[in-house]
Amino acid sequence: MKRLVSIFALSLCLVQGSLFAAVDYLRDVKPVLKARCYACHGALKQKAGLRVDTVAFLLEGARSGDVLVPGNEGAGTLLDRISSDDLDERMPPEGEALSGEEIGWIREWIRGGAQAPESESPELDPADHWAFQMPLRKPIPGRSGTGEGNSSGGRNPIDAFIAAAHEEHGLEALPSIAPELLVRRLYLDLIGLPPTHDERQQFVANFALGSVERLVETLLATPQYGERWGRHWMDVWRYSDWYGLGAQLRNSQKHLWHWRDWIVDSLNQDKGYDRMIQEMLAGDELAPTDQATLRATGFLARNYYLFNRNTWLEQTIEHTGQAFLGLTLQCAKCHDHKYDPITQKEYYQFRAFFEPHQIRLDPVPGVTDLEKDGLPRAFDAHPEVATFLFKRGNEKEPDESHPLPAGVPKILEWEPIVYESLALPSEAFFPGLQAFVLEDRLRDADREIAEIKRRLKESGDVLETEATRSKLRALERLPAALRAVHHADRIRHGLEEGHDLDRATKEAALADQSYRVALAESKITALKSEVSKAEGKDKEAEKLKQAENALESLKQMFAKEPLNYVSIRPALKALESPAETDESRRKPYSHSTSGRRASLAKWITDRRNPLTARVAVNHIWMRHFGEPLVEDVTDFGRRSEEPPMQALLDYLAIYLMDHQWRMKPLHRLIVTSEAYQRESSTLAASKLSLERDPKNTYLWRRIPIRMESQVVRDSMRHLADELDLRVGGPTIDPAKGENLGRRSLYFTHSRDQQHSFLAMFDDAEILACYRRTESIIPQQALALVNSRLSMELADLVAKELSEEEGLVSDEAFVYRGFERVLGAPPTEEEEALSLSMMADTRRSISEQVSGDVLTSRVRRNFVQALFNHNDFITIR
Amino acid sequence: MKPFELDRRSFLRRAALGAGGLGLGNFLPQLLGGAGSGRFSTSGKAKNVIWLFMRGGLSHMESFDPKPALNRYAGKTIAETPFGYVQDPERLKEVRVVVVNDANGQQRNEIYPLQIGSKRYGQAGAEVSDWFPHIGAQADDLAIVRSMWTTDDNHGAQVQFHSGRHMLDARVPTIGAWVSYGLKTLNRGLPEFISMGPRFFDKRDGHYLGPAYDAVPLSVDPKNPLPFANPELELSNEEQRLEFDLVRRLNRLRGRQYPRDRALQARSQAYDLAYHMQTAIPEILDFDRESAETRSLYGFDQDNTRSFGQQLLGARRLVERGVRFVQIMHGDGAAGAWDSHSGLKSNHSKLAAQVDLPTAGLIQDLKQRGMLDETIVIFATEFGRTPGSQNADGRDHHPFGFSIWMAGGGLKGGVVHGATDEIGFHAVENRHYVTDVHATLLHQLGLDHKALEIPGHKRLERDFGHVIHDIIA
Repeated sequence: MKRLVSIFALSLCLVQGSLFAAVDYLRDVKPVLKARCYACHGALKQKAGLRVDTVAFLLEGARSGDVLVPGNEGAGTLLDRISSDDLDERMPPEGEALSGEEIGWIREWIRGGAQAPESESPELDPADHWAFQMPLRKPIPGRSGTGEGNSSGGRNPIDAFIAAAHEEHGLEALPSIAPELLVRRLYLDLIGLPPTHDERQQFVANFALGSVERLVETLLATPQYGERWGRHWMDVWRYSDWYGLGAQLRNSQKHLWHWRDWIVDSLNQDKGYDRMIQEMLAGDELAPTDQATLRATGFLARNYYLFNRNTWLEQTIEHTGQAFLGLTLQCAKCHDHKYDPITQKEYYQFRAFFEPHQIRLDPVPGVTDLEKDGLPRAFDAHPEVATFLFKRGNEKEPDESHPLPAGVPKILEWEPIVYESLALPSEAFFPGLQAFVLEDRLRDADREIAEIKRRLKESGDVLETEATRSKLRALERLPAALRAVHHADRIRHGLEEGHDLDRATKEAALADQSYRVALAESKITALKSEVSKAEGKDKEAEKLKQAENALESLKQMFAKEPLNYVSIRPALKALESPAETDESRRKPYSHSTSGRRASLAKWITDRRNPLTARVAVNHIWMRHFGEPLVEDVTDFGRRSEEPPMQALLDYLAIYLMDHQWRMKPLHRLIVTSEAYQRESSTLAASKLSLERDPKNTYLWRRIPIRMESQVVRDSMRHLADELDLRVGGPTIDPAKGENLGRRSLYFTHSRDQQHSFLAMFDDAEILACYRRTESIIPQQALALVNSRLSMELADLVAKELSEEEGLVSDEAFVYRGFERVLGAPPTEEEEALSLSMMADTRRSISEQVSGDVLTSRVRRNFVQALFNHNDFITIR
Repeated sequence: MKPFELDRRSFLRRAALGAGGLGLGNFLPQLLGGAGSGRFSTSGKAKNVIWLFMRGGLSHMESFDPKPALNRYAGKTIAETPFGYVQDPERLKEVRVVVVNDANGQQRNEIYPLQIGSKRYGQAGAEVSDWFPHIGAQADDLAIVRSMWTTDDNHGAQVQFHSGRHMLDARVPTIGAWVSYGLKTLNRGLPEFISMGPRFFDKRDGHYLGPAYDAVPLSVDPKNPLPFANPELELSNEEQRLEFDLVRRLNRLRGRQYPRDRALQARSQAYDLAYHMQTAIPEILDFDRESAETRSLYGFDQDNTRSFGQQLLGARRLVERGVRFVQIMHGDGAAGAWDSHSGLKSNHSKLAAQVDLPTAGLIQDLKQRGMLDETIVIFATEFGRTPGSQNADGRDHHPFGFSIWMAGGGLKGGVVHGATDEIGFHAVENRHYVTDVHATLLHQLGLDHKALEIPGHKRLERDFGHVIHDIIA
């Protein structure tokens, strides 16, 4: 055979005079040009005045002259440039040279006359790319008018769009899934938990027109909806708790769970997605003193990185671009974007929105220790800081001659981006002014005083008592000092009217200085007692001397500055680099904010932005259906082809915006569609549909979805009635907190801390998780078969089923078990297999255990087998 | 399972969907493998890899690249030697600093003499330090590469050595993940990629390839070798078998109703594999099945060598049964035990004694069993240590030049390839970035290293590396 081929090839050579005789422009030449040359010589750019995306353009040549001359391989610059050994000459300049074979094809094609195909069309103008055009209202197929988001009085518009596609492609949609599986699908999809026995019975027994709608209303109104969909959005917005090295925080922030709670709350309140984006990017500029809103800026705090500010901002840019806009901005960091109309300069202009911001921990009511609790939030620490382009993306080569204003890619700019500096309310830049801060400090002081008094009562050691007494004397001055200082500061910042600032300042200084002197004296007293105990210890003596000096200089300072007092500064800025000192972290904050992030958020959430609503709808759709409408959820740029169901995507994007960007109406529209309720078994599918659309591009059936790891665990616990449904709160250590029985989203989730059971089922990747991985690996089976979690829960499910009335027989048990765990009763065959397994199990252990213990062990094993059933971890 | 093959392209398309979006494609490699049927050509000389990694940074000058000049110039600053040029900022610029102003990862200027002597070994006369006499004695089987370099001056270089990417860049698949992605399994009942020993900076391997390509962590305790390997509550073998059996049958029945549900089919196979794994692995780690002689060879007789020896013997038994890639990390702690900023002599002498004899034993054992031809053993570390002293009796991190060695799998024995300058500062001759090691392994395994890329996850030229042809037999 091989011989035959070469003879054939040889004969071609003879006929055409060349090995490359069969050269075909479309097959052999154009793909090479497209892959290696279009980025600089196509619609996006025309370096040297040259385009190569059609033969006609090639013939036009570059500014400097001919690139190729048909039939004459010696003329024109193309061949020389692509085969040059000189790296300054060679094209393409980046990556490897074209291979000898590729150059050969091009040479032969030129030699053969540079044949062009008929009517070759050039690359589309980047501005004409589908996703860069605003979604337009189009008529709903089969209906007059555009329907304006109103589905009443007719078919669900989703189904109208899909039916039109089916008609066009000759597809037959599958019927609806049985009610008992539909109810399971709806529960798992909307709240992440399977229905209970009663919930399923109620739905199935009364199944009628309107049942689905009623159930959907109920489910969307439960707090579990916010948890289920909150976890989805935590994936997209890449939630991660802090991590680092030992106690050193390097990434993200402590107490980031406040942001998670904001996500859950926002969804449950059905806050508009536009407002959510605004709060995440600029909550501190929009509602500077509202902690409920400030929580949202955890989105920015999550990107905190101790060691490198550039890395930190790169992450912020990349994930703002991908999550909200479906733009791969990061590809323009070192050079202009190779595929999309985004220049390197625009990348850095985008960075400028974020340049001023930093992260700090604010105090929360009731807690004064920021290690215990605090609110991680963004703020503009340096409103005036400049942004420079880094040449070739190298942070060591900033182009300092050109400071860049904040801006968006020109192609998506429908009006100039404007922003202006905003003055902040004083409690925003000076958190110590807040009333609760004073109250919490006073409470702490009172506690400490009470504690010392208790110790004094108990203690017999005279010296220690003297030291303690002196500490008490100091502390007893603290409440007055705190009050006076707080009062003076509030007057100074205009929060208390009708008071004399000078007098308040004097009083504050008097009280504070008296406290601080007393505190310094008490230290000396304590050290004196140490020195007397540890005779001859130089160390203590040295410390004593230092303390005495400190007191002396304090007194000197107060003599010079009689109005000196220390304000309450309860917030703490995150280290801007490992080199930053503690003192600089506690400096007062800027009184204004740049307004940049607010203007960015406004641009992202403007109805004229063609990307935002589409990207969100695509994420939501993918999580309902298992597959998105636009294949790459993170890239709607020019590499993303026009989606086959663009009309539907655009309809839904407009629908979202028309409903004040609220998600619940969109969920409702989606899950009440026929498309959503279809069967996933292909048994009844027509052969034609299977052949014409095997990938289900046109949604003529449903595809099964593997539950996310959180849903697997939560479902098992819920079936065993062992799930604590309290919402919100601090993260739970996954190594210790399993027995708390909380939902999985409350476990600490970071690079260093992951729940081992969840990790086995593809937990969210913390660096980027726009789409969950779905792996099928043997370790999952081991986790479901051998883990204490699954064994204990199986046991509880079995016990509960056994306790239900009428479940004395194994037959009844098997029936109920199938219903409870898999959502539908067993077939006859399944029942027979199950009973025989139970009988065999009974036999195999009847020598070790007997009676009720034997029965419950057999039943536990059976339930565990059901946990391992494919359809338990599948949303059918 | 052929039908899965046909659809691989579409799986790979899905893989382009952003990080972590590999979807069903993940189950392919573990389940499709007939013996050796990989994604790509598998006509390589080697079939398996045993990857030994000394965490923390082993001094190259006191192991496989002895530098007597350090004794001559001891106490002088580098500037005072004829080699002051090595610190020319231009020659140091490749380094990317992670921890700014860190106490470590700095230039150390005062030359610190060698803390151990060295000898020439084997026909090639390879110079090896006296801390590694047993490995030295195997020199005729080793290809020592003395001209490695990397760019991270801190222990994130461990990430870099395994993936080619600097700590500050995105995490990408490690070499073990690529090998299992490219080659798939040689066996039907075991994972293809196993790791033992402590990991810190990056505990995953698959990254955008998915968790199916993460190493399965194994400990040499036969009673609890794998996560969830044994029931955590009472469940007899027979009960478990009945459970697995019922699951298999029920899933098969369900498959009739869902003939196109590939996940269901794959899950059934995953269960078979799981069932086999949990019985096979304790058996593999049952070292009583080996002769006393063999166990001695791996240092089972001594307290300080036993632990590493057990891991190595476990590795041999795993590759014998077709596990592709066994990765063994040596040296505890966040940074890694070899990290000797002070007290280098006591640190390295102690740790070298733990690994020297078992490693040599592994090579001899593989050889006598005829397995060395098909198994590559690699002995590596994230970077070397500074020629200059730190804290009087230690050495700092040194990314500019360091050594590793490889053996078996169609590589030359008894060669010393590449060189650092006279004081061990820069790799100067035949310089190799860390991924050149990956490329060489892949080449010997019969994989085209440049073909290992999936849509949507462009690899950099540097990620692929270059095959070190000079050490290939």
